[in-house]
Amino acid sequence: MKFEEVQQQSKREWEAFNRFDHPRILIGAATCGRASGALSVRAAIEKELAARSITADVYETGCCGTCYAEPVVEIGLPDGRRIMYRDVTEETAAELIKDFVKDGNPRSDLALATLGDITVDGIPSISDLPMMQGQVRIVLRNAGIIDPTNVYHYVARDGYTGLSKALGMTPEEVIEEITDSGLRGRGGAGFPTGVKWGFARKSQSDEKYVICNADEGDPGAFMDRSVLESDPHSILEGLAITAYAIGAATGYVYIRAEYPLAVERLRTAIKQMEELGFLGDDIMGSKFSFNIKIKQGAGAFVCGEETALMASIEGRRGMPRSRPPFPAISGLHEKPTNINNVETLANVSEILSKGAKWFAQYGTGKSQGTKTFALAGKINRTGLIEVPMGVKLKDVIFKSGGGVPDGKRCKAVRTGGPSGGCLPADRLDLHVDYEDLAKAGSIMGSGGMIVLDEESCMVDMAKYFLDFTHGESCGKCTPCRMGSQHLLRILTDISKGKGSPEDLDALKILGETIKAGSLCGLGQTMPNPVLSMIRYFRPEFERHVARKECDALVCKALVSSACQYTCPIHQDVPCYIDYIARGEFDKAIEVIRRENPFPGICGRVCPHPCEGKCEAGKDGDPIAIRDLKRFAADYELENGKNPERAEVKYDEKVAVIGSGPAGLTAAYYLTLKGYACTVFEALPMAGGMLRVGIPGYRLPREILEQEIEYIEKTGVEIRTGVKLGKDVTLEALFTQGYNAVFLAIGAHKPLDLNIPGSENPAVITGVSFLKDLSLGKETKLGRKVAVIGGGNVAVDSARSAVRLGCDDVFIVYRRSREEMPALPEELDQVEEENIRIEFLTSPVRVLDKKGKFKGIECIRMELGEPDDSGRRRPVPIDGSNFVIECDNMISAIGQTSDLAPIEDSGVAGTKWGTIVVDEEILLTEKQGVFAGGDVVSGPANVVTAISHGKWAATSIDQFLRGREMLKEFKAVGSAASTEPTELTDEEIEKLGRPEMPCLQPKERTRSFSEVELGFTKEMAILEAKRCLRCDYE
Amino acid sequence: MDPEQNRDVREVLEKHERHRDNLIPILQEVQKKLGFISEEAIGVVSGHLDISENDIYGVATFYTQFRFTRPGDHIVRICRGTACHVRGGKRIMNEVTKYLGIAPGETTQDHKFGLESVACFGSCALSPVVVMDDKVYGRMTPQRVKKLLKDIE
Repeated sequence: MKFEEVQQQSKREWEAFNRFDHPRILIGAATCGRASGALSVRAAIEKELAARSITADVYETGCCGTCYAEPVVEIGLPDGRRIMYRDVTEETAAELIKDFVKDGNPRSDLALATLGDITVDGIPSISDLPMMQGQVRIVLRNAGIIDPTNVYHYVARDGYTGLSKALGMTPEEVIEEITDSGLRGRGGAGFPTGVKWGFARKSQSDEKYVICNADEGDPGAFMDRSVLESDPHSILEGLAITAYAIGAATGYVYIRAEYPLAVERLRTAIKQMEELGFLGDDIMGSKFSFNIKIKQGAGAFVCGEETALMASIEGRRGMPRSRPPFPAISGLHEKPTNINNVETLANVSEILSKGAKWFAQYGTGKSQGTKTFALAGKINRTGLIEVPMGVKLKDVIFKSGGGVPDGKRCKAVRTGGPSGGCLPADRLDLHVDYEDLAKAGSIMGSGGMIVLDEESCMVDMAKYFLDFTHGESCGKCTPCRMGSQHLLRILTDISKGKGSPEDLDALKILGETIKAGSLCGLGQTMPNPVLSMIRYFRPEFERHVARKECDALVCKALVSSACQYTCPIHQDVPCYIDYIARGEFDKAIEVIRRENPFPGICGRVCPHPCEGKCEAGKDGDPIAIRDLKRFAADYELENGKNPERAEVKYDEKVAVIGSGPAGLTAAYYLTLKGYACTVFEALPMAGGMLRVGIPGYRLPREILEQEIEYIEKTGVEIRTGVKLGKDVTLEALFTQGYNAVFLAIGAHKPLDLNIPGSENPAVITGVSFLKDLSLGKETKLGRKVAVIGGGNVAVDSARSAVRLGCDDVFIVYRRSREEMPALPEELDQVEEENIRIEFLTSPVRVLDKKGKFKGIECIRMELGEPDDSGRRRPVPIDGSNFVIECDNMISAIGQTSDLAPIEDSGVAGTKWGTIVVDEEILLTEKQGVFAGGDVVSGPANVVTAISHGKWAATSIDQFLRGREMLKEFKAVGSAASTEPTELTDEEIEKLGRPEMPCLQPKERTRSFSEVELGFTKEMAILEAKRCLRCDYE
Repeated sequence: MDPEQNRDVREVLEKHERHRDNLIPILQEVQKKLGFISEEAIGVVSGHLDISENDIYGVATFYTQFRFTRPGDHIVRICRGTACHVRGGKRIMNEVTKYLGIAPGETTQDHKFGLESVACFGSCALSPVVVMDDKVYGRMTPQRVKKLLKDIE
């Protein structure tokens, strides 16, 4: 058939395909579509059509790039509406046949986008989809649109016009066209294609070869696969043009074995080319003869390198050789050979069809045209896009890609596969082109783009890539073979916390040597990931080495389980949970007490950062770690536990100021170490914020008393009613014979609300309200009470007010619910106790009538730009003022420390009201005086205070014994040594985080009885068995 | 080599010219028929192409695709590519090695399962990916992969 006849036939077929006398259904069935279930969806569609006796044309197409929404099905009706549906299942497919095909209901709830001219309410058109915006689809021109097994579709959309035009030009003119277009190799190296062709053209030989490199080996890259499966002819036409330009009669497509569907598509396409006269002798009536053979790779990444690829075609080991001679002079079978990447060739066919000038209009500077990118990793919209060169990397990630899922931060973006580098989040303003990326230490590579969030460890990623390239090294040259081994060994040591500070420099020197000395691109680019990671993330590497810290919680040797690592006191969570699962509760509490002197308290009020990082919480509910701790502590209480009195080993005495968790913990551990400790407490009762900041319904007084008593029984002396600065001074303590002092005076001074009228007696602070309550002094409150603030003090003030009889209590908070510092479980209880919360509201001034409190004038807020902490600042909405009438206002907007007691004592304070300490050892500027807890950290929480207490005890012990004061960093591991308990099938059915049994809401008001009642034994054991035991190898 | 396997190998050889260029395609097709490349098969191919067995082993062992022992009835391939790694590929590999009791590259005692790790399947958008008997499963979790193995058993 002559080409014109083929074109006419194509036009007819394409029109028929798009005519829609019947409904037309296109199913995206490339590899990803199939993996998502596209073929079962097709079966379901055909079944439903048959059941309803509906005639429709069903086709499989390739992939249009919206992988995040697969399986994707496009349904077009005779009325012209064409709608693409997303995440189609067998069930929704059947529904769509009934609802849309039969009844004409577009089902916008299942739709992704419309195509064609007709719009449908509530469904964006495909060009408005964020992922599609900004795209210029040259390589992907037919992807998802045509049936890839129908050559006439390809021809109808200008297919083979490129080849036809080329055959009417001289080879030199064809080469000039490609050179003028500015096309550069898309496989990664970016060499100007026209220039490369020129070399092969010039070589004199009876035989020449062209090869398409379809050995897309970069992990994370799937652009080539997509084009091969969705539009194979675009590549084969390009290959034919290349052959004509350089004078080759035989072409190979070298494709990796892992792409079976692509191989099938190519085979079909080649047969079709042969049938239509696009291959063979005298192609399209010219004197050009050309044949294409397929060669499959056999699983070697290095065969993507051109000389290794050619060796593989020749039936040899895929080992590169040195160049010169370059393939254009001596390549396959020592004949001149030109090798181009899949994407390059898909561009070639279109450039010859539409012209060099058309192509060169896209892109920037020296990077003309477009580039496909495969977006993967931690990104909302995974898939394939094609954008003009020069777009901003951050637009690709955040606009096209939709940003990072689950509200996490983007940490870095990897480009260029294992040969490339990473770009940290603050370099995302870069333009995606060859030059910009190279300057930043990465490369464009083939186009794989992997997004990493804060849960990716850069040491681990560097090790991962090195592991890959090391495994793929052919072994021929020493720098690559031995160098990769050494790099890997050093990185593995670092990931295990065994590295030394010199290692980072060693990595750099080794890396540069390997780059300079390796024979081929694999070795030359192998050090790139680690070099760029060190360039941008050096502190992270240093922390692994010096502090045994892996903040991303990935390096297993440093973080055996996320819960234990995240806990400020490194409680051995897997160990005690395992004991609970076995019913050995006494052993469980023993493990807990090793690190924690306040198990019953923490088991009730700790903000559980461990649960925030629990692995089970990633797809389900986190393990109820805190509630299990409480269970073990309550068990110990029931069964009595009397600690041994510690032996006093040393003469030195330590004074602790403040009997909150920080102070008591320090005293406890110092006593266990053998020192005599006295705790001085200003208030009439011990406990600090545990006593005066947390009401009894959250922390029963009996529990608090018992845990303080436990500490006293070990030998700690507590003297109440002694205030620093008044009854005793720092100097006096030293004169009295104390050798060291630990300041743990907490943060009990409320911050001033600072609005006009807040001196009114009906306005009180939450801190003083709760303190008076706990010391037995009741405050008289009216019926309607407003509480200003969003933290625990505000919530506890509100809930306490309700229990005193106020029947209309509400909270006024200036930010939104998501940002409220109070724990979600507390907010649930707040709602149950009928306390409402006015979000995004702020008080402006107090309203009074002749001194009598009447109410508050408030203003509505909206969230504006983020402040330094990253939280969006609330901004008042002008004119939204309104009045709330009430009887009292409780202000709970935060606390600070009262540093008056230590003024002029030699201990320095900061402008935020905290005490200055050496961060490593908690030593203040005065010798022998240490500080910790809220007075150092600012208002925090119980477990942080406990960690300071322990830490200070270590530093004070070192000080008193004359040793160097140093913080020791060790890898945190579990003592659990048994296998996780097996679950019975019955138990697996019942598995799920139990709900904490609570007092009924109506029983709670008017009483300060504990609201949470604790797990039963059965609940605790089953929940403990749900633990994934991340510590267990 | 049993007569049936012998016949299979000869059938493959007949389809290809006696040229070194065809060595790898021949080995690929032999493996497709026999499930692996046996010592005897290499002998036959060596005679046909006039390439030493030593040389053929040299080529075949370079490429990860080729197996030299009888594979499991079901081959489980777990992707260790970047995107799969980032989205939890290691956990899945751990679960499978624990469940089957073999390491990548090995086959279970009863020849039911063989385990392989692959650098990248190119289905990165669906990470983490597991391929069982050439069927691609995306968005896998340790629980789902365990169920998959149980169902096959």
